[in-house]
Amino acid sequence: MLEIKPIFNALLRSKVGAVLLLIQIAITTAIVSNAAFIINDRIEYLNQPTGYQEDNMFKFNVMMFGTDVDLIQQVELDEATLRQMPGVVNAVHINAVPLTGGGSSTTFRLKPAPDKAKTDTASYFETDEHGLDTLGVELIAGRNFTQDEVVINRDFSKHPNVALATKALMDELFPDGDGLGKIIYMGDQPLKVVGIIGMMKGPWLKLEERKDKSVILPLLYPHKLQQFLVRTEPGQRAEVMKQIESVMHQSYGKRVIQDLKGLDKKKANYVAEDLLMMRMLVILISVLVLVTALGIFGLTLFNINKRTKQIGTRRALGARKSAIVKFFVVENSIICLAGLVLGVCGAVVLGQQLMTQYSVPALSYEYVAITALGVFVMSLFAVIGPAKRAANIAPSIATRTI
Amino acid sequence: MLSHYIDLSWRSFKRTPLVSFLMVLAIAIGIGVTMTSLSVYHMMSMDPIPNKSKKLFAVQLQTMDEVETWFSSDDLPYQLTYKDTTNLLNADLPYKRAAMMKTGFSVHLNSDKVKPFFETTRVFSRDAFEMFNLSFIHGGVWSIEQEESAAPVVVISQSLSKKLFGSDNSVGQTLYLDDLSMRVVGVIKDWQLHVKYYDLNNGSFNDPEQIFIPFSLIKANEINTWGNTNGWKYEVVKTFSDKLNSEKVWLQFWVQLNNAAEKQAYSEYLANYIAQQQTQGRFNRKDAQYKLRDVNEWIAYWEVVNEDNKIMVALSFMFLAVCIANILGLLLAKFLRRAPEVGVRRALGASKRQVFYQHIVEVAMLGLFGGVVGILIAQLGLLGIRQSYSYYDSLANMDLIMLLTAPVIAIAACIIAALYPAWLVCKTNPSTYLKTQ
Repeated sequence: MLEIKPIFNALLRSKVGAVLLLIQIAITTAIVSNAAFIINDRIEYLNQPTGYQEDNMFKFNVMMFGTDVDLIQQVELDEATLRQMPGVVNAVHINAVPLTGGGSSTTFRLKPAPDKAKTDTASYFETDEHGLDTLGVELIAGRNFTQDEVVINRDFSKHPNVALATKALMDELFPDGDGLGKIIYMGDQPLKVVGIIGMMKGPWLKLEERKDKSVILPLLYPHKLQQFLVRTEPGQRAEVMKQIESVMHQSYGKRVIQDLKGLDKKKANYVAEDLLMMRMLVILISVLVLVTALGIFGLTLFNINKRTKQIGTRRALGARKSAIVKFFVVENSIICLAGLVLGVCGAVVLGQQLMTQYSVPALSYEYVAITALGVFVMSLFAVIGPAKRAANIAPSIATRTI
Repeated sequence: MLSHYIDLSWRSFKRTPLVSFLMVLAIAIGIGVTMTSLSVYHMMSMDPIPNKSKKLFAVQLQTMDEVETWFSSDDLPYQLTYKDTTNLLNADLPYKRAAMMKTGFSVHLNSDKVKPFFETTRVFSRDAFEMFNLSFIHGGVWSIEQEESAAPVVVISQSLSKKLFGSDNSVGQTLYLDDLSMRVVGVIKDWQLHVKYYDLNNGSFNDPEQIFIPFSLIKANEINTWGNTNGWKYEVVKTFSDKLNSEKVWLQFWVQLNNAAEKQAYSEYLANYIAQQQTQGRFNRKDAQYKLRDVNEWIAYWEVVNEDNKIMVALSFMFLAVCIANILGLLLAKFLRRAPEVGVRRALGASKRQVFYQHIVEVAMLGLFGGVVGILIAQLGLLGIRQSYSYYDSLANMDLIMLLTAPVIAIAACIIAALYPAWLVCKTNPSTYLKTQ
C-alpha cells in the first residue's frame, strides 16, 4: 500500500541529509524530555504550599544603635504600636522569618542532652503568644501558649518550658501519634508540646528533610538587631508598609529600619535561582524546537528542489497530488521515527547522567513519551507545507527539461 | 589569495542571501544560548586573585569528636573556633595570616547630616589587607599596637568615604558603628570581586564589605557574627565569653604560604598544634586532621559553580550541536548547487585544496558574522538573567575572554559543519559539469 521500499531506496541515495535530520531529532528529543522534566520539578518546588498568606505578610529589620533605651520595653512597645495600626491583623518580634533562607535550627530530642535518644532536626522560631496568629498557620491540636508562658530576657537566665511543633516533626519523634502533651528537649532544656501545627514551612525550602519541621518557642530575646513580622488585612499591606518607618521612628529614633519587604518578595528572592533556571530551560527548549522545525522544513525543501524533475515525471505519469504529499510525509516519518528511537535512548542516558552526577531526580518516562509524540507531530507540520508545494509542481516542468 | 577568497565569499553571500541569513541566524542563536550559560559559568569559576591564588590557603581543623560528622564533603567544619583562630593568629610564625568574620552595624555620624543606614562589616586582622591585595588610597592599616589594644579604628572603602564625608580622604574623621565611635585610619580602593571567595560560608556572590575593623574588637566589644555559627556538640553558651571558649565554629582563617617549603612547614605546625591541643583534651580523634586549601581549591570545595549552571552549560552545548547539524544541512544544499561552477574552476586549473580552502574561508566568515550576532543575543540573555536574579549581577556579564571566545567557538563550529560539504564539493569531477555547459 505505502510505497515504503522505493521511499527507503530514495532515502539511501541522499543519506547525509537524512542522517543530519535524524541527529537533530534525536538530540532534540533527549534535551527536551529532560529539560521538561527538570522544569516541571522546579514548578512543583516553586508552587508548593507554604501554609502562609504570603501576600498579606511582610517583615522588616530594626537595628538599634541608641543605648538610652531598655530593649525589652522598646520591643513590647513596638509590638503594641504595630498591632494598633489600622489594617494590621497581628504583629510580632520574631528571631527568624520563614521562606527567607535565614533562620536557626537545632536538634530536638526525646531525652535531655547528653543522653542518647531519638533526635530530629527542626527550625525554631522565638516569638510570643501572638506568633501563631501572625504567622497565620493552622493549629490542628492542643492550644497556643499563653502570655504567662512567654519568657522575656536578655541573658538566657530563664527558658521557656512549652512549645508548639509542626505535625511533621511530631510524626517523626512520636510515630504513634501521641506526642501532644509530651516533653521534648532542646539540649537539656525540657519543652512540653502544648499544640500541634499543620502546614508551616521553615526558612529553608531546599532542605527537604527540614522544611516541614518547625518549633515555635515562647521566648523574646531582643538583640540590637531585631526582626518583626506583620500580617495585614487583605489589600492593606502596601498602605501599612508605607507607614512603618515613620511609626517606628516616632516611638524611638536612634535606629535603622531595613529590609522592609513582603513575604512573597522574600520568598521570590529565595527561590530566584530556581526560577531563573526554569526560565532558561523554557527558553532553551522553545528555541531548540523552533530550530529543529526549521531544520526539517529546510531539508524537505532542499529535497524537493533536488527532485523537481522526478516529481514532475511522476505527476506526468499519472501520480496524484496526494501520492506526492504522502511520499514526503512517509519519508520524513521514517527519518523521524529512527531519530526518535535514538532520541529516546539518548534521553534515558542523559537522564541517568544527570541523576548520577547531579541531584536531579530520576527521569520519569512519560516525559520522554510525550516529547517523542510532540516531536513527531511537529515534524509532520514542518513537512506538510513543502510537500504540498511539491505536489503542485506541474508535470510540464518535467517534460520541458527532458 | 586569502583576500580573493574573502571577496568570493562576500559575492556568494550576496548571491544567496536567504540561505546565508539562515545559517548566520542558526549559528548566532546557538552561540547566543551557549555563551549566555558559559559566561555565567566562566565568571563563577574564574580565579578571583590570579597572582596569589596559589599562595593563599584557607585553614580547616577537625575539632569534632571521633564519631561526629559534618555536612561538608570531607566532614571537616568550614570555619574555626575562636580559640583556634586566636591561637593560629598569635603563633610566632613568619607567615602572613588573616583571621576574619562578617558582622554589621548601623552606620551614622551622630548628626543629621547622613541618615543612618545598615552596613555589613568585616572584622579583619592586620595582614589581611596585604594578603587580599587591598590597596590604600589614603592612610593605611591600623598599627600593631592598635590591633593589640583593640583601638576603635576603622578602614573604609572609597565609595563609603564619599557617601559619608563627601570626599575620598576621610582619614582622621569619626564615624559611628552603632554606639561605637570609630576613627578612620585608612581608605581603600573599592574591593570588587565576582566571587566572595574569602568567606564562602556566607554567600558566594554578595558584595564585599566596605568597612573593616580590627579583629581584637570581637572580644573587647562583644561583636557577634552576622554569618553562620555552627556547633556539633551540646554546650551551655549563655554569655559571650562562653561563646569565645566554646567549640562552636564561626570564624574564617587564611594564611599566605609562598612556596611548597612554607606550606610543608605550616602543615607540620598545624599537626603539632593539634597534638598539643590533644593533650588538653580537644581534637578527640585518632587521625588529627587539618586541611590547607588554596583559593581555587576552596572555590571548588564549596561548589561555587552550582549544579544548575553545569547542567545549563552541558545542555547549551548540545543545543549548539543541533545548530551545527542544521548548518551542515544548509551548507550541503548551498555548496552542491554550486558544483557546476566549481567544475569549471577545477577544469581551469584550480587544485582541490584551493577549492576546499575557499569554501572553508566562506564558512569561517559565516561563523564570524554568526559569532558577532551571537554576542548580541548572549547580551540579551545575560540582561534577562540580571533582571531575573539580581544576585547574579556581577556574574551575568561577558569579560574580554568570553567576548573573544564567542567568535572562536562560532568559527570552529562552522568549520566543523563545513568539512564534509566542502570535501564533497572539492572532489567534484570537472568533466561531469563541463559536458552540460
